[in-house]
Amino acid sequence: MTEKKARGKKKTRVVVRLTRRDFLTMAGTAAASVVAAQALTTGPLSPFSELRQSQVSGEHPADGAAGTKHWGMSIDLGRCIGCEYCTRACTAVNDVKADEPWNIVVQERTDNGRSFFFSRPCLHCQHAPCVEVCPVGATFVRDDGLVVMDYDRCIGCRYCEVACPYDARRFNWEERSDENTFAPTWGLTEIDRRPRGVVEKCTFCVHRIDAGLAEGLTPGVDLEATPACVNICPVGARVFGDLNDPASPVSEVLASHPTFRLRQELGTEPSVYYIPPDEGIPS
Amino acid sequence: MTTLALSRRLPWLTPGLLAWIAFLAVLLAIGGVAAAEVLLKGLEVTNLTDAVPWGLWITIDLSAIALGAGAFTLSAVVYLFGLKRFQSVVRLAVFIGFIGYTTALLTLVMDIGRPDRFWHPWVYWNVHSVLWEITWCITIYLLILIVEFAPIIVDLRFFERWPRLRSLGHRIHVAAPALALAGLLISLLHQSSLGATYGILRSRPIWFKPSMPIMFVISAIAVGPAVAMATTFVVEWITGKRKIEHDLLRTLARFSGLGLLLYAYIKIWDLAAVSYYGRTPASDTALFILRGQTPYNFGFWVGEMILGIAVPVILFLVPRFNRSPFYLSVGGGLAMLGIVFNRWNVTVSGLVVPLAYSPGTLFQPTPQPYIPNLTEWGVVIGVVGYALAMLTLGIRFLPLFPKPAPE
Repeated sequence: MTEKKARGKKKTRVVVRLTRRDFLTMAGTAAASVVAAQALTTGPLSPFSELRQSQVSGEHPADGAAGTKHWGMSIDLGRCIGCEYCTRACTAVNDVKADEPWNIVVQERTDNGRSFFFSRPCLHCQHAPCVEVCPVGATFVRDDGLVVMDYDRCIGCRYCEVACPYDARRFNWEERSDENTFAPTWGLTEIDRRPRGVVEKCTFCVHRIDAGLAEGLTPGVDLEATPACVNICPVGARVFGDLNDPASPVSEVLASHPTFRLRQELGTEPSVYYIPPDEGIPS
Repeated sequence: MTTLALSRRLPWLTPGLLAWIAFLAVLLAIGGVAAAEVLLKGLEVTNLTDAVPWGLWITIDLSAIALGAGAFTLSAVVYLFGLKRFQSVVRLAVFIGFIGYTTALLTLVMDIGRPDRFWHPWVYWNVHSVLWEITWCITIYLLILIVEFAPIIVDLRFFERWPRLRSLGHRIHVAAPALALAGLLISLLHQSSLGATYGILRSRPIWFKPSMPIMFVISAIAVGPAVAMATTFVVEWITGKRKIEHDLLRTLARFSGLGLLLYAYIKIWDLAAVSYYGRTPASDTALFILRGQTPYNFGFWVGEMILGIAVPVILFLVPRFNRSPFYLSVGGGLAMLGIVFNRWNVTVSGLVVPLAYSPGTLFQPTPQPYIPNLTEWGVVIGVVGYALAMLTLGIRFLPLFPKPAPE
C-alpha cells in the first residue's frame, strides 16, 4: 500500500524513493520503539517503577488495606490555646532553626471575630505538589503516607518550596552555627542538623515512628513513637495515629468530630485534619 | 604612517578592543568575587527568602534560554524548511544559542543550594517534574548545539594537527537536518516547559493558567532571531565590515515583528482572561495586591507591552524604520529587554503574593519584600561578562559569518 503510493508519487515533482527495504526498516523501527517505550515506561526496566501507583494514576490507596498504614494527625482548633509548645518541642527535637520553624502557630479569627489559634505542621499530602515537582526525587511519599526528604539527594533548587501550597518547607540558607536554645528545656535533640543548601520540613518525627515500630510500639499511643508536638500539647489538641486503623486515636477523633482539610480544592489530599472551632470557620 | 605600521604588526589589538577587553575583565572580576562569596557562604548572602526563594537569577536563566532560541528557530528554517538563504546567519544564531544556554547553566549552578550535586537530575530521575525534563532538554540541546557547531570548531587552524578529528567534525555535520529536527522538538518542549514550571503550580493563583507555556515559547521564538539580527548589526557597526546581506536581516526583523504581534495578541487575551471572564477570587486578590502595592503594572505595561513589544514591532515592521540598522538594533535590544522584564514579572509577581491557606479571616496578605542585593547583581554582571566575552572571542576567532564576497 505504502509502496504503491510511493511509486505513484515518483511521477510528481516531490520524489519519495521508498524501497521495500526502507519500508521494512521503518516499520521495524516503529515496532521496536513501541516495545521499547512499553518496556521503559511500565516494564521492569522502567525507571518509574519505584514510583507509587497512586502518584501516577491519581488513585487513592485503598483505605484500610491490609498491612498498610497511613500516618495522620488531627488538630482541634477549638482546643488550641496558642501556647506554641508544639513549635518549641519540634524545634528542640528536630534541631530546627528557631526563626524558621517547621511547625507554626498563628492567631486567627472566625467570621464573627472570635479569635482562635491555627497551627500547621507539614500536612503530608498524598498528592504532594512538592513531590511532583522535585527534579531529582529527593522528596517522596512513603508507603505509610509520610512525605520525607532525602537530604543527600536534594540539590537545593527550592522548586518544592515554591510549589508547596502551605508554606511548609524551609531552606538551609547557610551552614548553621546557632545554638538551639529550645533544647534541652523543650526536648532533647534527636536528629542531625541538615547541611547547608538543602530543603527541610516537618517529618512527623519519622525517626520516632520507624524506631518505635521496630520496637513494637504504636505511634500515636506510645509516647516514644509519637511526634514531639503531639506529646507536648497541654490541651490534647493534636492527636496522631494510623488513619487506616479505625481503632487508632486519630481515627476515633475523626469519627466523632466534623473535620476539614486545608485547601481541599487543590486535590493535595493532606493527612492532617482540622476540627473547626465551635463557631465554625469562614467558608 | 606609524599607526599604519603598528596596526599591521598587531592588526587586531586596537585601543578600542583593549578598552573592551578591560571592561569585560572588570565584569568577570566582579562576577568572580560575587560567585566566590555565594559559594563560600551559601545563599544566605542573597536577599532570597523562604517566601521568595526564586528571584533575579532565575529571571536571568529564563531570559538567557529564551534569547538563545534563535538557534533552533533559524536551524529549523534552514535545515527543515529548506530556506537556504538564511544559511549565512545560522552559525551566529547557533553560537548565540550556545552562549545563552551556557549562561543559563552557569547562573543555575550558582542558584542551587548544592552546586556539587548539579549532576543529580541526570542520575536520579523524577519523570513527573517539569524541572527534571527541562534539565534533560537543556543538556541534550547543548550537545546538539555543540555537534551542529563542530565543523566550525574543527576548521580552526588549531585543529590542523588532528586531521582525523577534523574529518569527524565534518562527518557529524551531515546529521545537521536530523539534529535540527531533534533540536526543534526539544526546544519547543523546554521553551514551553519553562513556562509550565510556573503554570502547573495550582497553589499560586497568578501562575496557574494554561497560557503560561505558550506565552513563553512564542516570545522566545519571536525574539530569538531578533537577537542574531541585532548582534550582526552591532558587530558590523564596530568592525565596519558588512557581514550579512541587510535584506536578510530585515527579513529576520520582520519575522520577529510578526512573532511579537502574535505574542501580544495572546498576551492581551491572557490579560482579558485573567482579569475579566476567567478570574477567580484568588487571582483577583493577588492582582489587586500586585497592582496596588508593587510596580507590577508599570513593569507589565511599560516594560513588557510598550518597550518590549509595541516599540520593537513598529521598528521592525514599519518600512521607514526597518531600513535603518540603527533602529533595527534598538528594536532588537528593546525586545530583549522586554523578555527580561517579562521573566522577572512572572517570577517575582507569583512569589511576592503570599500563599493563603489559613482557614481564618485575620490573615491579610501583604507582598513579601524582594529586591536583589549587590551579591546577586554581582553574579549577574559576571555572567553577562561571560556572555559578552564569549561573543567577542567567537567573533574574533570563529568564522561565524560567511566570507565576504570579493569586491
